[in-house]
Amino acid sequence: MIELVNISKSYDGKINVIEKLNLKINKGEIVVLIGESGCGKTTTLRMINRLNEPTGGTIMIDGQDYKKMSKIELRRQLGYVIQKVGLMPHLTVGKNIEMIPELKGWDKEKRKERAYELLTTVDLPPEDYYDRYPHELSGGQQQRVGVARALAVNPDIILMDEPFSALDPVTREQLQKELLRLQDELGKTIVFVTHDMDEALKIGDRIAVMKDGKIIQYDTPEEILKNPADDFVEYFVGKDRLWKSPEMLRASDIMHKSLITVGQRRTPAQVIEVMKEKDLETLFIVEKETSKPQPPIGYITRESLREQGSNESKMSDICNREFETVQHDSKMTDVLKIMDNKLVRSLPVLDDNGNLIGMITRASILNLITKAVVNEEENQ
Amino acid sequence: MNDMNFFQFMASRSDELIRLTIQHIQITGLAVLLAVMLGVPVGIFISKNRSLRSPILGLANVFQTIPSLALFGLIIPLLGTGYVPSVFVLFLYALLPIIKNTFIGINSVEESIIDAGRGMGMTTNQILTKVEMPLALPVIMGGIRISTVINIGTATIAALIGAGGLGEMIFKGISMASDNMVLAGAVPTALLAIFMDKVLGMVETKLTPIGITSQKDKAN
Repeated sequence: MIELVNISKSYDGKINVIEKLNLKINKGEIVVLIGESGCGKTTTLRMINRLNEPTGGTIMIDGQDYKKMSKIELRRQLGYVIQKVGLMPHLTVGKNIEMIPELKGWDKEKRKERAYELLTTVDLPPEDYYDRYPHELSGGQQQRVGVARALAVNPDIILMDEPFSALDPVTREQLQKELLRLQDELGKTIVFVTHDMDEALKIGDRIAVMKDGKIIQYDTPEEILKNPADDFVEYFVGKDRLWKSPEMLRASDIMHKSLITVGQRRTPAQVIEVMKEKDLETLFIVEKETSKPQPPIGYITRESLREQGSNESKMSDICNREFETVQHDSKMTDVLKIMDNKLVRSLPVLDDNGNLIGMITRASILNLITKAVVNEEENQ
Repeated sequence: MNDMNFFQFMASRSDELIRLTIQHIQITGLAVLLAVMLGVPVGIFISKNRSLRSPILGLANVFQTIPSLALFGLIIPLLGTGYVPSVFVLFLYALLPIIKNTFIGINSVEESIIDAGRGMGMTTNQILTKVEMPLALPVIMGGIRISTVINIGTATIAALIGAGGLGEMIFKGISMASDNMVLAGAVPTALLAIFMDKVLGMVETKLTPIGITSQKDKAN
């Protein structure tokens, strides 16, 4: 775990580039620092391995003040990957990876074994690549070597400073995917700096949005998308971003929250009145008409009521008890599938206890599209 | 005078010429060696110390701009004549290209490579010996090569203050108005310069790391 406590940084002694910054990065998490250039994200990252020294505050690594270690020792415990890769051009790929192991005094056999292992991990066949020189490799391959080098002495923490920003979009996406795969396998703690929100949303377990040396919001990608802390975050995320990431949308984000239900003892005439008043085609039936959350019993449509005509039967007798439901955290893609396949008009959304908390109708989805396309402010 | 006469002259003086050539090599060799021993560390030093950079380069430049003839004259009151002052003057001449090239060589190592090295946990010394020096070596070698070639020429003037070398033959030829004798000093000097340039060029290539050489080939 990395903990930045009240970190400040000033280059000239007057202006603070970083102002009393606090950040907690849990073990095994990918945390993305994002912001416009000059916001202090790279400075923050470089303070963790002491390439920049903070002017105030301290950094704790696994509960220990990081200054207890020598700079060299500290840096060898933290992998470091940078945008320009910075491979040593006079050394082969293998020797580049073996640099720190060699300085640490590993014997030749062990070094080579490790380099082979790591080249395999980053998907560069070692037989082909071990003896090549960096300039013979494409940008993407060079950065793979960069990542392998950072992993050489198996650090728990890896610092990455815009590692994929200089790559073409296809290669970038490939490496992003592989980073996530690597992360699944190795479970490192990764601090990742980028200015690309797409990348941040794709990679980050948590995202710290920075501006003027401060963290404006530190949250999961979903929270950042759905509840931006202020206008800057919202602007930075892009208003239509949520729509572009439908996998982030949950049933509870698109449902109508103003629930209209009727109790099971109501008669058809009463229910028709409610439907007329609220302009509804379908109503869900619950046990009692209270504001307390309760599970839905069934539903009734205006059409079926019309067929019934006016009589004294109760809703509990005539309602349709066969219906689809979704959980509040179901993905929107699943919701759409159900609505499409089953030709459902209204889909009740249930909480973890099976109680009705909202309703998704075709209209609510239309609303969402309208919001995205018209690019309006979100009202929830 | 025909060519045969010149070669006959050379042949007749071969013992003396060999002696003078060896002397010539000794003077320039020692001067360059000393210049490397001082110039490379100074070059490294100013690549790390911004504030001392321009005074030191300026000073070395001054030596380069003083006409060699004048410098040899000026050294006599200080160190007298003979071998030592000659080597000293030549040493001063050799310094600038070596200091400058060392500085340029180290300074031109890409910042990102150094940054990666530091970030990985290499010490300043390790970065110097494992990264900066190997990458700067061809450029430093280029400086040594320039110094050597210039020095082989300049060393002929050192004969004026009694250093010996092939300059002796040239000056003797001038005073005796013997073209053969002037040429007998000048031609071996030129050949020596060309030869050393080739040899040092080969060393330079040899010292250039493979990763850099093939990079250049690719660029060409």
